[in-house]
Amino acid sequence: MTDTVEVASPPTTPKAGKRDVWIVFFIAPAFYTAFGVIFFALTRTMPPPRPDITTAQMVDFFVNHETTIQIGFGLLILIIGGAGIANGIVMYHMKRMSTGSVLAYSYMGGMAVGALPGCLLVAICFLTATFRPGRDPELMAFLYDLGLLSYVGSLGCFSVAYFAFAIAILYDRNEIFPKWLAYISVWQIVTEILAVPVFVSKAGPFAWNGSIAFWMGTVIFGIWLSCVIVFLKKATELEPVDSPPLD
Amino acid sequence: MPGDVHMWVMVLGDLAIFGAYFIIYMIYRTMAPQEFLAAQQHLNVTVGVVNTVVLLTSSWFIARSVLAARAGDPERAVRLTYLGGAFGVAFIGIKGYEWSHAIAGGYTMPSSDFFMFYYMLTGVHVFHVALGLLILGIVVRELRNPRKRRTSMVESGATYWHMVDLLWIVIFGLLYVMR
Repeated sequence: MTDTVEVASPPTTPKAGKRDVWIVFFIAPAFYTAFGVIFFALTRTMPPPRPDITTAQMVDFFVNHETTIQIGFGLLILIIGGAGIANGIVMYHMKRMSTGSVLAYSYMGGMAVGALPGCLLVAICFLTATFRPGRDPELMAFLYDLGLLSYVGSLGCFSVAYFAFAIAILYDRNEIFPKWLAYISVWQIVTEILAVPVFVSKAGPFAWNGSIAFWMGTVIFGIWLSCVIVFLKKATELEPVDSPPLD
Repeated sequence: MPGDVHMWVMVLGDLAIFGAYFIIYMIYRTMAPQEFLAAQQHLNVTVGVVNTVVLLTSSWFIARSVLAARAGDPERAVRLTYLGGAFGVAFIGIKGYEWSHAIAGGYTMPSSDFFMFYYMLTGVHVFHVALGLLILGIVVRELRNPRKRRTSMVESGATYWHMVDLLWIVIFGLLYVMR
């Protein structure tokens, strides 16, 4: 009689990562890539054109970039919903934290209100300016200032969102994101504070195109966003596929 | 290494970011040394020195609180953290007095590049002090709870507080003292 030896099947790691969450996740880097192309390459809003130029030069800016502004911001108006989805995936993982959903709602509220002055208004201003290029030059200059001040100077809503994000990560016991991501979100608040002088400074480091108000803020935002996307991917990978849907 | 690695990411990164701000300040100062020096004369160095002593004293209390926590005396650590925090609050109060005095004297952000740097660097530093007070509050909360008490948390709080101190010393040197 031969003993049958049961061969234990190798332990299989449970499948993780829900398909719908993956789809939403991939929209975030796709949206930010499109956002970068639109703002840097097409509409010339990044780096922002100078604040210390004459009215005639502001009109020239709109005339010279009319087509690319219309293509770029026309496209932005079409895909702006991607910002909501990119914030929504962050909120989804925040709701999985032990801290509960209240900070996730604070994040979403801050980001949603901030998107209007911080993203959409500059597009509307520049599209309005290029819609009738023969308009009174003073009005063109007004749209130039309004668009860029709103774009670089919309600070408080994002600060609240970053603060809610940081507090949620620090108090979370489910370890959805690493704690240091909370601390580097504080850097984002620092850069927002240092952009306050754009409303009084027309040249130098604190102007809307300045080394501190714009460049430092943009570089740190780039680092922060890259980290967030990497850890959103990890959080999506690690979420058990059989976990119950969130409330 | 005292504290947790996450706090060190924050501290070293923050120091690098402030380092960039300091370099930018030095570049602009080098481009207009006379203008910066003339504006600098309107700052009250005595108030700056008092605030430096206040912040260093607070750091001394925080360092003592770490020793008390390590020695297994949380009550003493809590008392010392409160004292450190009180000096932090005093720092913000003195800074507020200094700002109001400067504003009343007509030295506001648009006055000159120097005052723009002055308000922004000291302002963003005060934000760090306020955040430090929040962190010290969390440290006290943990120290009071026997089940949550962790020396690493006390050390992390102190690491952050000393960074705030170090940043102030550089800001004080660059804005008030350098000739």
